[in-house]
Amino acid sequence: MGRLSGFRVTLAQVFKPKVTEHYPKEKRPKPERFHGRHVLNRYEDGMEKCIGCELCAGVCPAKCIYVRGADNPPDAPVSPGERYGFVYEINYLRCIHCDLCVEACPTEAITESKLFEFSFTNREDAIYTRDELLVDDEGRARRQPWELWHGGEDDRTSAWMRATAPSGSAEFEGRVSWSGELGFGVRLGEKGQSEESSP
Amino acid sequence: MSANAVPMSQWPSDHRYTIPVAGDQDMVTVTIDDKVVQVPRGQLLIAAAQEHGTYIPRFCWHERMKPVGMCRMCLVEVEGMRGLQISCATPVVDGMVVRTESAPVKAAQDGVLEMLLINHPLDCPVCDRGGECPLQDQTLAFGPGESRYVEEKRHFAKPIPISDLVMLDRERCIQCGRCTRFAAEIAGDALIDFGGRGGHTEVITYPDEPFSSYFSGNTVQICPVGALTAKPYRFRARPWDLDSVETSCQACAVGCRGALDSTSNRLVRLLGVDSEPVNHGWLCDKGRYGYEWVHSEARVRAPGLRRGMELEVTSWPQALDAAAAALRRVRDEHGPGAIGVLGGARGTNEDAYAWARFAKGVLRTDNVDAQLADGLPADVVLGMPRATIADLDRARAIVLLGPDLKEELPVLALRVRRAAVDLGVPLIDVAARDHGLTSSAAHVIRHAPGVVQEAVDQVASIIDGITGDGPVVVVLGRPSVAEPAAATIHAASQLAKSHGARFLSALRRGNVHGALDLGLAPGFLPGRVSLDAGRDHLSATWGGTPDATGFDATGILRAAANGTIKALVLVGCDLLTDFPDRALAREALSAVERVVCVGAFPDDSAERADVFLPTGVWGEQAGTTTNLEGRVSVLRRKITPEGRTMEGWRIAAELAARLGSDWDLETVEEVQDEIAQAAPAFAGVDAALLRRARDGVVLPLADHLDEVTFVPATPGAGVSWEPLRPAADEVGNGEVAAPPAPAVALHTWSMEAPAPAAAPRDSYALRVIAARTLYGNDRVTSESPSLARLATSDARLLVSARDRDRIGVEDGTVVRVTSPRASVELPIHVDRSTPEGFAFLATNRDGAGASDLIDLDAPVTDVRVETLS
Repeated sequence: MGRLSGFRVTLAQVFKPKVTEHYPKEKRPKPERFHGRHVLNRYEDGMEKCIGCELCAGVCPAKCIYVRGADNPPDAPVSPGERYGFVYEINYLRCIHCDLCVEACPTEAITESKLFEFSFTNREDAIYTRDELLVDDEGRARRQPWELWHGGEDDRTSAWMRATAPSGSAEFEGRVSWSGELGFGVRLGEKGQSEESSP
Repeated sequence: MSANAVPMSQWPSDHRYTIPVAGDQDMVTVTIDDKVVQVPRGQLLIAAAQEHGTYIPRFCWHERMKPVGMCRMCLVEVEGMRGLQISCATPVVDGMVVRTESAPVKAAQDGVLEMLLINHPLDCPVCDRGGECPLQDQTLAFGPGESRYVEEKRHFAKPIPISDLVMLDRERCIQCGRCTRFAAEIAGDALIDFGGRGGHTEVITYPDEPFSSYFSGNTVQICPVGALTAKPYRFRARPWDLDSVETSCQACAVGCRGALDSTSNRLVRLLGVDSEPVNHGWLCDKGRYGYEWVHSEARVRAPGLRRGMELEVTSWPQALDAAAAALRRVRDEHGPGAIGVLGGARGTNEDAYAWARFAKGVLRTDNVDAQLADGLPADVVLGMPRATIADLDRARAIVLLGPDLKEELPVLALRVRRAAVDLGVPLIDVAARDHGLTSSAAHVIRHAPGVVQEAVDQVASIIDGITGDGPVVVVLGRPSVAEPAAATIHAASQLAKSHGARFLSALRRGNVHGALDLGLAPGFLPGRVSLDAGRDHLSATWGGTPDATGFDATGILRAAANGTIKALVLVGCDLLTDFPDRALAREALSAVERVVCVGAFPDDSAERADVFLPTGVWGEQAGTTTNLEGRVSVLRRKITPEGRTMEGWRIAAELAARLGSDWDLETVEEVQDEIAQAAPAFAGVDAALLRRARDGVVLPLADHLDEVTFVPATPGAGVSWEPLRPAADEVGNGEVAAPPAPAVALHTWSMEAPAPAAAPRDSYALRVIAARTLYGNDRVTSESPSLARLATSDARLLVSARDRDRIGVEDGTVVRVTSPRASVELPIHVDRSTPEGFAFLATNRDGAGASDLIDLDAPVTDVRVETLS
């Protein structure tokens, strides 16, 4: 073989199936737990799930979420309860898509979609406001002009994954739950968090 | 609180137990969780344990209130006592062995928390308390981890407003009774109480009577859950957003310590800090919610220069040049006496010193006054024998000889009430009409305005009948601006001479005492020294002082009106609103040639300004302030000011530089050090000491050296429901170097005050009592949206029912009120506090009113009331 021995690996690869994908012409289905850009969900009656509690902003390690709550107007409430998210902004120049906000959210208001293709031409576009994050009446993410969407990519926007219970029970660990659209799949009531009493 | 002083408010309510007195050195040995400790006999177990590092969970117990044992959270095991004991109502005795973490205690804590959570909603993400909630924290630390209750919780309509400032959520309430006890015990406004029984117990207000207490905000701070929330703070921020500094409130001269919170460069909350010598952790609502005005849209945030009719926005150099040129021209053409400087009682000590140095050291005019004819002569305030607020607690008797403290200095009223009600100090109320503390007084003496001789004789005979070795403390102020201060001063001088009375000043404006101490008064130089005594000492730093004593505020305005004074510098004062004689103020403003306005708001006087220089305000600028007892405490900067404002002292320094005097002062600490060196009363009170002293420093330092404390911040400070401990930036060594003796002997009051001639009564006329109310047309109230709702802006004539009937009109009828000075039309209303023959007029109201009727020369103001057509 002599001088050809150096090409052994190369030659072997030539006959193997190719892994290169023609992105963006072709796209692979994304994994279930893929962390794309966020959406703010609503209930079936159109009420916003966000109550402006700022837990997402508090837990965010990149400090990219800015939330301010306000008194719900009694005649035209925005969300159930006394308080609603009056300002909700996510700065995608900072977001690291760690999903801690989704775990922290007590009402499943914020979840991550599979959308990740967005290129901004200015900083203002990079800061998504409440209007841009809120889902539309069909429960689908609102497409922003600078986002690249492909068919069906906005279908599964409301996946959430439950964290391990504080008691250490492995019951929920790694189980992904799908909450359909517009408020389907609201969590079952927890029957206590210790191992013995979990469902 | 020191280990051996148990505040009486902690005593068991029925006095069954051995009761310690403050300073009792009788220590007993107690074993708490196998730790043997020495504690004062009779101290409550929960407090003794906390002082020695064992935290017993609690909800209802508060250090400043009597124990009730309502929540049962603080159960502990005491050897030899049957069952578990509530440690908040168990005084320690010798040899006690206590366990706070044993199995029975744990089981009891689990049970109590499980029971509290049966009905407590889990809406923590929506609740303002979430994140700093004692119920959350203690459930996590001491609770069972899970609940056996799956039933639906109880539901109420929520939240319901119980006053204009406080919202009640009955679902969250755990019935600890902190709010109801505060209202009844501390504030004396028992306007909320429990109604219903068992699971249906709820906090209620009385029908048609909201919880309209001046102290309602304190209930929000001490609520251990989110049942009470403050409307101004509701949903503004979550606890982890907030950034906090400790500062002093400037809404009045008490100088309560508070923790000022901001988020995103906006002030959102002020919480009371438990300062033992001053406010005990309480704040009044005006101080607590009065931060909103700082963000008012109406504030001037850029310097202005008059061009034609309009003040045009300009640059700082241009504005300062114009102001300096105007003042220089007046001084060169007409002499320094042609310039008057008014105001300065709303800034920091550093501002006051800089303005005093600018006026007296650079311009060389002594026509300087921080008070606007609504206070007491500087000679009296600076020279009288002083008492501290803490002296009230150990006084032989307290004499109220001044305004309604609840309206003007609300937290001082709480301290006086505590001394009178809790500690049994005889309170002698000398006033013309009933006021907020009358119900706490042991002796009530009524007199006609301007006539106090008989009242003083009565006070003297009452004090003679009281035994005790404490000082007689006189709270001395201006009861009414419708009469000169002479009668009150005369009464004070007699009490000082006959009973060695000590005085607590009741002047109101935020830093009026700092302004007077630092020389913003005619005839005085910084550091409580008279012009003649301090001339040589101050000249060494300043390079010169005024040649002759100048006029006070009234004199300055008269001189301005008749053309002797050509230029006025107004430092944070609105003459047309603040000065009791509006006609004189208007005349002076229109006659004077040049007006330089330094302030925060475009007020009525500013419309006459040639140059407007905007200052930074409370929360935006660091410095120190002096409260009514002469305590210098630190003000901290919390937010970066919007726009182009400048600190007051820096404006004065810039103007001085333009008039040829470079002070070489760069930072606020340098100003503080110069004050310590130049002002005799401030000897030793330099920036380094102020930074370390926990509760500030009382002037003069040499007399109050042992009261200065250096204590590091207590761990856990920041949990607002417990008394917030004062913080200190540095851990001190616990000692203060003996201060240098004042370079010049401090001014003392001669106590010579002639009795004013008694003003004869005209039986057809009503004699006017004119004073302030807490909420009025002042900027703190009117520019704070939450407080503005509480203010009644229209002037009213308040008279007794019999006088109203004699006039023969209905309540609310507009009548013509005529004084020798002017005639105005005002609605008349019946008021139960005002006795027959008198009429009460609030001075801080918009439109025609008290300041039109008052003639500053007249010994009293009598008015005739006529019906219209």
